[in-house]
Amino acid sequence: MNRLTYLAKRLALGVPVVLFGLTMSFLIMYRGPIDPVMTILGRDATASDIRQLRIALGYIRPNGTQVPIWEQYATVMYDLFTLQFGQSWIIQRGVPVTEVIGNRMPATLWLGWWSVVIALLFGIPIGLFAGLKANSWSDYLASGGGIIWRAMPNFWLAVMLAGSLSAGGALGWYRGLGSDYGLKTDVIGTPDEVGNLFTVVDLFQGVPVLELLFLPIPNVGNVLIAFKWILPAALVLGSASMGNEIRIGRTAVLESINSKYVETAKAKGLSSRRIIVKHVGRNAVVPLLPVIMGEFYLLIGGSVLVEKVFSINGLGNLFFRAVLGPDIPVVMGLVFIFVVIQVLMNILQDLLYTMVDPRITLEDAGR
Amino acid sequence: MEEPTSRFDEDSTLRSRLEADPEPALRWAAVMAALALVQIGSLLGGLLSILDAAVVGVTAIFDVLFGLVGLTGASAAVVDVQSALSGAVTTARDAAEGLPTLLSRETIPNQGHLASADGPWVDTFLGLEPALAWAVRVLLIVGYSLFTFYWLFRGWLVFRAHYRQADWTPTDDMIDRLRDHRWGQFGIFVLALFLIMALFGPALGPTTVSQNIVSPYSHEVTYFNADAGAVETVAAGDANFNSKSKGAGDQNVGPMTYDNFNRFHPFGTLPNGRDLFTFMMGGARITLIVAGLAIGLSALIAGGLAMVSAFYGGNIDLTLLTTADGIVSVPRLLLLIMISAIFANHWLAGVLDGGFLLALIFAFTGWPFLWRAVRGPALQVAQEEWVDAAESFGQPPRTIMRKHMFPYITGYLLVYASMSTGGIIVGLAALSFLGNGLGITPPTPAWGRAVSLGQSYVSGPSWHISFIPGAMIVVLVTGLNALGDGIRDAIDPESAGGDDDEAAAGGGA
Amino acid sequence: MSEPVLSVSNLRTVFHTDRETIRAVDGVSFDVGRGETVGIVGESGSGKSVTARSIMGLVESPGEILPGSSIRFNGQELTEFDDAQYREIRGSGIGMVFQDPQKSLNPVYTVGNQIIEALEENQDLTGEEAREEAIDLLEAVAIPDAPRRLDEYPHEFSGGMRQRAMIAMMLACDPEFLICDEPTTALDVTIEAQILELLQELQEERGLSILFITHDMGVIAEIADRVNVMYAGEIVETAPVEELFASPTHPYTEGLLDAIPGRQDGSEQLRTIEGDVPTANEAASHCRFAPRCEHAFDACEQAHPQHVEVGPEHTAACLLYPGEKSRSERVEHHRAQAETGGDHE
Repeated sequence: MNRLTYLAKRLALGVPVVLFGLTMSFLIMYRGPIDPVMTILGRDATASDIRQLRIALGYIRPNGTQVPIWEQYATVMYDLFTLQFGQSWIIQRGVPVTEVIGNRMPATLWLGWWSVVIALLFGIPIGLFAGLKANSWSDYLASGGGIIWRAMPNFWLAVMLAGSLSAGGALGWYRGLGSDYGLKTDVIGTPDEVGNLFTVVDLFQGVPVLELLFLPIPNVGNVLIAFKWILPAALVLGSASMGNEIRIGRTAVLESINSKYVETAKAKGLSSRRIIVKHVGRNAVVPLLPVIMGEFYLLIGGSVLVEKVFSINGLGNLFFRAVLGPDIPVVMGLVFIFVVIQVLMNILQDLLYTMVDPRITLEDAGR
Repeated sequence: MEEPTSRFDEDSTLRSRLEADPEPALRWAAVMAALALVQIGSLLGGLLSILDAAVVGVTAIFDVLFGLVGLTGASAAVVDVQSALSGAVTTARDAAEGLPTLLSRETIPNQGHLASADGPWVDTFLGLEPALAWAVRVLLIVGYSLFTFYWLFRGWLVFRAHYRQADWTPTDDMIDRLRDHRWGQFGIFVLALFLIMALFGPALGPTTVSQNIVSPYSHEVTYFNADAGAVETVAAGDANFNSKSKGAGDQNVGPMTYDNFNRFHPFGTLPNGRDLFTFMMGGARITLIVAGLAIGLSALIAGGLAMVSAFYGGNIDLTLLTTADGIVSVPRLLLLIMISAIFANHWLAGVLDGGFLLALIFAFTGWPFLWRAVRGPALQVAQEEWVDAAESFGQPPRTIMRKHMFPYITGYLLVYASMSTGGIIVGLAALSFLGNGLGITPPTPAWGRAVSLGQSYVSGPSWHISFIPGAMIVVLVTGLNALGDGIRDAIDPESAGGDDDEAAAGGGA
Repeated sequence: MSEPVLSVSNLRTVFHTDRETIRAVDGVSFDVGRGETVGIVGESGSGKSVTARSIMGLVESPGEILPGSSIRFNGQELTEFDDAQYREIRGSGIGMVFQDPQKSLNPVYTVGNQIIEALEENQDLTGEEAREEAIDLLEAVAIPDAPRRLDEYPHEFSGGMRQRAMIAMMLACDPEFLICDEPTTALDVTIEAQILELLQELQEERGLSILFITHDMGVIAEIADRVNVMYAGEIVETAPVEELFASPTHPYTEGLLDAIPGRQDGSEQLRTIEGDVPTANEAASHCRFAPRCEHAFDACEQAHPQHVEVGPEHTAACLLYPGEKSRSERVEHHRAQAETGGDHE
């Protein structure tokens, strides 16, 4: 089976999964015991207002009859799959959902990107190092740290970090860090406005999300500020993954280093450097793949809490507010995006598997 | 695998074996009886609480089911039955708690006051200062409970050594390996500690949830007023109002200190002046009930479905796979937030202060992870020859699953259940942290809420409010992970560890 | 005889565990001459593989080669080498073929990649040149369609093919001396014969010296010039292969030979040695084989047998020899030998 056919097949298999996830969300949001109409209009709404709104939201027809649930379902699903996300009901009344989401996406992307990178940058090397130095003090320190690190609730870590870094006095060293170079930021909320140029919002605003990737670096100072601003949050968000990477990385390296093929490589007279980089390294990546790809999953959930504590106006925060609203179109739009990305990530993971480990063929990947 | 061998006649009953050599059993039972008698009131009370929760849970499920199929009448009848039963149980519990209990707040009281500026302490155990009296009680209760846990295990050992039909079973090896596994034992110890907190919470706190947290204005505090130089009495609520921890120098009651009302606070007070230790004990109870219910339910669903998908395979397996993928495709915390927000005002949210609904949600969102983890072992065992053989004898699928497959996957189920419980506990705390109608309904204590309450005071003298609850979660979750590691190494000493399925088990919230 | 390529004397390799120190190899001495094939035979757990790993310098903590051990390769004392020096010897000096070819090849790289890697390291060949040489090597070990096979992964090879590839990989290092640690154990009998034949051909072509380790007396008969019989960390008998098969002296050797099907005439039943190899955890003051030996007598528990000449280039360590003496004289002889330093500690 070549990669294209495989890809097509996996995408086709992903459709029911997306459908299921969305159906579940639909049932919860539309059939749950909560009436968005009353929330939107408040207690003092007149009967005609309510009627108007019900029609507008697609609950009843203009002639007053109830729209059957399956018809609502069909409409909602059709709209989602044709990428018509509709307009926000509550959060930004009347604004297209794409715009509501698009405005908040850069902050979350920035946060997510750094949380993944930081976790990878620290977690994997520490894990590999602990595995190479198994049963030494540095190993105990690293693996013990990993065990505790991954048991720490994100929200708690966020509270502790945000609290101590934004404090006054010695604890608040982070706020002043690099302020001589204009890197003045607050830990919570958006960075201080040192002129309009220096706000993160300006870094991205008005740029369609996809083009962000190809944007020339706008201004090193801005990027640094944005980095400093996001660092504590990213550190927290990546914490669980980092702990996992340390743990799994360590075991993977240990397993590989005690393997027969490493013995063979030694018998060939290879240097330990080469053995570790070439023979241990690649084999250790195999069990790390799902952890790395799983980061994304932890990230979306975690972003709700972390963005709330650090007052970052991103998708996590948006989702939380949209559910409480309930701003159903925004919720459904977000769920759609998350689920689709999740399915794509799974496919990507299986493709990567086949690339890293030739024993796994496209046929048996992912099952 | 070795054939279990037997020292006894194959048809000898446990009773005949007991009669043949009653001594070890009697010795064990005598100690056990003494242990139980000492704490009879609180033990019965605890048991009846569990019974109460079970009644509520079972009737709630029926109620939901009847509601779903539209039998409103039946649903209402169920609610009546529930309240009647629950009432009876509550009456019995009150009676039980009236029974004498040695290690109780009454026998070792810590709530007293100074008679004058220089003491002595009045109304406390042996006239000790409250901190000491409290410490004595806590140590005794923890010691008593740990010993009782040990003695229960001892009971199994006695049974194994003297009365069990089989000389050896694979479980023996597992238990023996666990006895050599320090890390796993750490896990057991931690879990035992938190179970003690949940069971004996009311006796462990320096005060009680109802006195201090739920209805502080119906209870009074007697204390020595240093300003007036006299012993006075105020409502607990008023005392709380003046014992707040809000970070500022004069508004803080830190860990291991007294407030101005002669009350000792092992963990300090909350920003509203309530006792954090008592709050944490109350939180431990609800946390463990929810986590236990949730993980029990998910394990049940996951184990059952894993066997079904392994036994039948094909389209059934594929359907389950899609279902599980579908549930998993929406990040769990988001699903949790959605469901609990939508159901926030539903009557179900009132059962167990919202805990019951949360347990259901956690079970619903959690089973796919467990199912994925045990599906592999289940598939493996389904291909074993003894399963084929059983099938060829014409054993019905249900029997095959129960007798041949279930024992094999139980171990794996335990491992992953232990590890996912950490995720549930963190998730529950996260929901309570978010508040806004999510999580456990106030004023019932919840760990996450304490973290949220202390959020603004982290860097000041009132750091304890957020720090301690989080640290306790870290300890409990680490303990559960350790327990999982221990069981895994016990059932499969060859396994190298480091399963990728764990990736989803830990933090994330 | 000319200077041996490899000369091992009084090799002692121990493993430290929490409870005890296991003497996996306990005072082993033997030589391998140039172009010669020397076999080490024994049951599993007798210390054969640890001997091989000790020579390769692959013994790692908690294992340790005790001081007093000597491994001389081409006149160099390997026990004094550090990692970097050992690296020079491994591959180009001494190569090693392992028991399980499935696990010994790295699953994530192509066979060619792993052979070329050895060529780069030991023969300074790179690029197209290395590729050509790798193809030649695969052809030399009789792998058909070598150019295509070069780009396949180990899991695409059959068991016998993998072992051939493994041998090709070791040949890529161009060693003078090759250690084969049970190279045919994991293979079918027919494949085993092919591999043995291949090894013999290669030895003739390249003038290799081989240390061949196996538990299979039949394989030893096929390939070895000299045989060392190992038991519980010690060599109990050593002899040229024909001599050993014609007149085995040590009861353990006899037992091993009796266990080969078709060797005993008339006897219906295959004889076996009861019991397992004991784990040696303290210095021997007795014969370690005694508990399983049908000729054992009281003194076997009290005196540690020393090597005694029993034929041309043929020695055995057993209290039954030298056969011309009386039992008490023999015991005395062995005791005296042990004290004059034939024994260690």
